[in-house]
Amino acid sequence: MSVAANAFLYQEPGKVPSVVLAVLVHVLLAVFLFFGVHWQSRQPEAVMVELWASPPAPVTEKVEPAPEIKPEVKPEPKPEPRPEPKPEPKAVEKAVEPPKPVIAIEKKKELKKEPPKKELPKKEPSKLNLDRSKDIRAQLERETATLNQQLEKDRILDQMKRDAAMSAARADAAYISRLKGKIKSNIVLPPDIAGNPEAIFDVVQLPTGEVMSAKLRKSSGHKAYDDAVERAILKSSPLPRPDRPEQFQRGLEIKFRPQD
Amino acid sequence: MNVTQDLSILSLITNASVPVQLVMVLLLLVSFMSWLFIFRKLFAIRQAGTQTEKFERDFWSGGDMNGLYQSAVNDRHRAGSLERIFEAGFREFAKLRTQRGADPSIPVEGARRAMRATYQREMDNLERHLAFLASVGSVSPYIGLFGTVWGIMNAFRGLANVNQATLAHVAPGIAEALIATAIGLFAAIPAVIAYNRYAHDIDRLAIRFESFIEEFSNILQRQAGVGK
Repeated sequence: MSVAANAFLYQEPGKVPSVVLAVLVHVLLAVFLFFGVHWQSRQPEAVMVELWASPPAPVTEKVEPAPEIKPEVKPEPKPEPRPEPKPEPKAVEKAVEPPKPVIAIEKKKELKKEPPKKELPKKEPSKLNLDRSKDIRAQLERETATLNQQLEKDRILDQMKRDAAMSAARADAAYISRLKGKIKSNIVLPPDIAGNPEAIFDVVQLPTGEVMSAKLRKSSGHKAYDDAVERAILKSSPLPRPDRPEQFQRGLEIKFRPQD
Repeated sequence: MNVTQDLSILSLITNASVPVQLVMVLLLLVSFMSWLFIFRKLFAIRQAGTQTEKFERDFWSGGDMNGLYQSAVNDRHRAGSLERIFEAGFREFAKLRTQRGADPSIPVEGARRAMRATYQREMDNLERHLAFLASVGSVSPYIGLFGTVWGIMNAFRGLANVNQATLAHVAPGIAEALIATAIGLFAAIPAVIAYNRYAHDIDRLAIRFESFIEEFSNILQRQAGVGK
């Protein structure tokens, strides 16, 4: 009986202190976690991606080149063809016409008149040998012809140069847009970009299209986006080749915006 | 979700899905209980150890057995396990010895049985809650794992709706989910350590009690022979 009573008398010591201590342990744990977890705060930024990028590639590639080519092709023909034909034909006519009055004057009236500057050396012999007006005329004609030819040649050359520059620029735009399309398909956009900041990268490539380096020239201000673009550039190696090999540039400057 | 966001523990817990939060709450409770019992057992076993030490010293220093018995009966509240075993055995012995003409081995056997019974009871008291620590140690990692699996399942399901999937979409979900495992481990590790430690301590106490019972039985046997 009294033995059995002993069992009920048994009391574990330190009940209150153990409650206090258990609470203390958990408070300590909570404090540790609350302050200790701050080391992890930068981790997700560094870990980012590379695993999940491929599926959306076709979508972005289809969408992007179209809007980029159009705006660049249209504005170019308008400003350039206009200035070209107007100034050049005039220049040619002006250059060609002055000699004619000179010839007429010398032949018929034989008056001394201030010639255009270009004709200075030719006029003196004409004054001296008036008899040989035929020769002079022929010579003048020949000279105007050569002058005309020269001018024509210059004009053609000039035109060709401009054309070449224009087509190069156009092809360049297509090439750059292809480059950007490929790179963009590899960009994994970080989810929280505010606005549409521009990041500029200096890309150095080998003739095979392999990317040697991608350096950030101007940050977009959003580090995760800069990093994403840099990774995308490196991942896009080899880059698409230009249509014509002379368009190849070792160093490229490419601009990126998250929303184009 | 902000990429550069601080993964503070609070935001992780509040953003978790409901089952994961339930698991966390459960584990927190379990962890609290296990720490509570860890401390209670710590105090109890330490006290049992010092009381046993003290009683053994008193007993073997050649004190009067009746005096020891009296003091054990008088402050029963402060008596330790060994003292209670002694008290039970001595009381039974004294009762049986008064019966004349009995076999001298009978009181000794009775006293031994009484001491055995008290010993079992004391051991039961000492081992109380140890099973809880053992189950916390073995089960709470699984509970935490369940919460984690659930949370990761949710994180990946959320990924299905996003066409451009980044790690940033899943990472917070996984981090949230892993909190559950962390809490489970936090509950389990101390529980396992404490369980092993206490089981060992209680085993040693049990050996001391048993050897005391044997030795005390011998003393009673001698007394019974003398008294005859």
